[in-house]
Amino acid sequence: MPDWRSERAARDARLEAGRAFAEGKVVVAESVTDLLEAVLRPGDRVCLEGDNQKQADCLARGLAACDPERIHDLHMVQSGIVLPEHLDVFETGVARRLDYSYSGPQGARIAKMLYGGKIALGAVHTYLELFARYFVDLTPQVALIAGVSADRDGNLYTGPNTEDTPTVVEATHFKNGLVIAQVNEIVERVPRVDIPGDRIDFVVEADTPFYVEPLFTRDPAAMTETQILIAMMAIKGIYAEYGVKRLNHGIGFGTAAIELLLPTYGERLGLKGTIATHWALNPHPTLIPAIESGWVKQVHCFGSEVGMDRYIRERPDVFFTGSDGSLRSNRAFCQTAGLYACDMFIGATLQIDLMGHSSTVTQSRVAGFGGAPNMGSDPHGRRHPSDTWMKAGREAQMSGDPALMRGRKLVVQLVETFGDGLVPTFVERLDAMELATKTGLELAPVMIYADDVTHIVTEEGIANLLLCRDADEREQAIRGVAGYTPVGRGRDRVKVEALRARGVIRRPEDLGISPLDADRSLLAARSIKDLVHWSGGLYEPPAKFRNW
Amino acid sequence: MAAADAVSWYEASARQRVAAFLDADSFEEFVDPTERAMSPHLPLFELPRAFDDGIVVGRGRLDGRPVLVAAQEGRFMGGAFGEVHGAKLVGLLRAALDGKPSAVLILFDTGGVRLQEANAGETAIAEAMRAIAEVRAAGIPVIGLIGGRAGAYGGGGLIAGTCARLAVSEGGRISVSGPEVIETNRGAEEFDSRDRALVWRTMGGKHRRLTGGADAYVADTVAAFREAALDLIGRAPAFDRATLEAEQARLEARIARFGDCRDGAEIWARLGINDPDAVPAMTDAAFLETAAGVPEASHDAR
Repeated sequence: MPDWRSERAARDARLEAGRAFAEGKVVVAESVTDLLEAVLRPGDRVCLEGDNQKQADCLARGLAACDPERIHDLHMVQSGIVLPEHLDVFETGVARRLDYSYSGPQGARIAKMLYGGKIALGAVHTYLELFARYFVDLTPQVALIAGVSADRDGNLYTGPNTEDTPTVVEATHFKNGLVIAQVNEIVERVPRVDIPGDRIDFVVEADTPFYVEPLFTRDPAAMTETQILIAMMAIKGIYAEYGVKRLNHGIGFGTAAIELLLPTYGERLGLKGTIATHWALNPHPTLIPAIESGWVKQVHCFGSEVGMDRYIRERPDVFFTGSDGSLRSNRAFCQTAGLYACDMFIGATLQIDLMGHSSTVTQSRVAGFGGAPNMGSDPHGRRHPSDTWMKAGREAQMSGDPALMRGRKLVVQLVETFGDGLVPTFVERLDAMELATKTGLELAPVMIYADDVTHIVTEEGIANLLLCRDADEREQAIRGVAGYTPVGRGRDRVKVEALRARGVIRRPEDLGISPLDADRSLLAARSIKDLVHWSGGLYEPPAKFRNW
Repeated sequence: MAAADAVSWYEASARQRVAAFLDADSFEEFVDPTERAMSPHLPLFELPRAFDDGIVVGRGRLDGRPVLVAAQEGRFMGGAFGEVHGAKLVGLLRAALDGKPSAVLILFDTGGVRLQEANAGETAIAEAMRAIAEVRAAGIPVIGLIGGRAGAYGGGGLIAGTCARLAVSEGGRISVSGPEVIETNRGAEEFDSRDRALVWRTMGGKHRRLTGGADAYVADTVAAFREAALDLIGRAPAFDRATLEAEQARLEARIARFGDCRDGAEIWARLGINDPDAVPAMTDAAFLETAAGVPEASHDAR
């Protein structure tokens, strides 16, 4: 007789062991390590909720304090490696294997530990990939998640930063796993139920509120005239040209400048209502002026942003909000929306090579992917048309029967020819390839592959790669907007001029834009305080962005 | 260039400020960029130089009256004082003794002395303070205007302290040691330089106005600074023993009354402001109303 219930029996045993440290489902913060040592088994697959923004930091500290004699060789499967504790568990031996997506602030340390052999790396994923694998071959046995509040039955309120939680709980709970939630407070009744209580096994009242990183706030005061020029070119040469309504923006200053130019420069061009109406985007503070000016119909969010809660509550026509009035975000759904329902992704990168491959890897940092490779790729599973998508498809002139032609997603890279510290953005060879060789990665960490990129915008102009017919044209189109970098200076002037004559390369003057008009006075907001004013005082910026 | 009432002081460059601040087309620059008076020291550090070394000096008219003007460019090396930069300011101040203008206006935007030429910079600070004393003693008001990105820090803060009157906007900051310097020397527990709200509660325009450190608080436009400058020129104090004694008494009273406060908001509460926590978010108009009810903000010292 095969045993069809061994996982269920194991789960019950863990639950029983954990109950010694709980009163009902509730566990006090001091008992976290005891609880974890009771329910975990060596070699477990564990998701320690580290998202792009919110962090189950109390549970992370508890896990890092576990006795490696008892708990060891865990296989961590989580989207974000953000807190020092996320890597401390590998130093002590509590954890051994790692599958993840994004490691922004810990990028340097993770690289060092990979070289040192402290971490057995499975793969670096995109968010959607890792979420998908939660349901196939990386299903967690134990999930450690974070919420704002819970009642004694475990009903969980995540607040505006719902992020990965529903996905993690779905995969863990429904496949015989154990779910432990840390919350800022235990309440009689939660404001809304984001996760039903029967999916939560233990609730820990954390010693401090969970940490959230303000990742998506760009201070308008730091925007340069070069970024404004690039933004003007993008609006006129791409948004207007293709009539882009459904889109996702990256988090750089270039796209933030576009957000701030919509109500001024965009308005002057008469584009209101014809572009940038439907978004898959975190609640960027720099989008406030466009929202207030009536440009934005709808925004679905991956997560929230520090300081935006009150504003979002007062704009339910624009944002997705729950019965309690606050934002409901969801990373898995928003990533899917960005992949399939948006006609354009536009964002920045650190390096672009001669074919248009791009990467944010530098030699000493492994920052991971996050969502950009999904946002910035042409989904071959897409089957619904739109004017934007079809126009891009026609330009790409795919071979074969025109009746069988399909569209293309616009994937736009917005970069200055020289980045921070005057490091050239355009390179002959990506640092990512060096890193792959050094660390023995089977796959070089390329953020966006060349065949997905449709346009590159720099202060020198726009290169439309859809119109390039062979590899040589493509290389010259890229060199032709690479400015005074070595790659740019290596251009064939005759070929570049020919590409310009065909409209493959377009300079500011070809678009009717004078670089002298790229002035900070064009920005709808020139400071964080201006954003507060635009929001009617509803936006509450974190202290590090204030100058008053 | 837009009209002066639309130009943000904080956003504008030194040249834009001077052009919009003075009467139209009245500015005549001394040692202009075509003369290439540049730092002799920066090339040693392979650092770029500026044709004006980060300061614009010259003469012009303000509401018809002849004035001398110096404007620091905060976007070149943080507006820091180097040898040439300092010499241009000192030279301008000394020229006032001969030309007898209605006032000398210093448009501060500086982090202090330029580290790469610190000795020359420190000397220039001392010379500028002495020159200001001489100019004021000759009956010419020296007015400081502070609302740029870099504020008035280090030696710039010291020079500001010797001016007859100061006008400041919300974004402007006045201090000697900057936030990072304090944190480095005394620890983040003493002063967390990344808590920008704290920085502004301690050194920002509103705080300086409420404690009488600045004599006028203005909106962030060139027009507002111009109006304030005209007003302050008209009510600059005499530079005599009585003024200096009054200033000494004011500062002693201030340290006695507020010396134990840990935060700007505590000082504002002691000044009798009902809702001190609301001060940072106040609009300019609401703040001016609040400041008008604070007696310490007005005095006849300096």
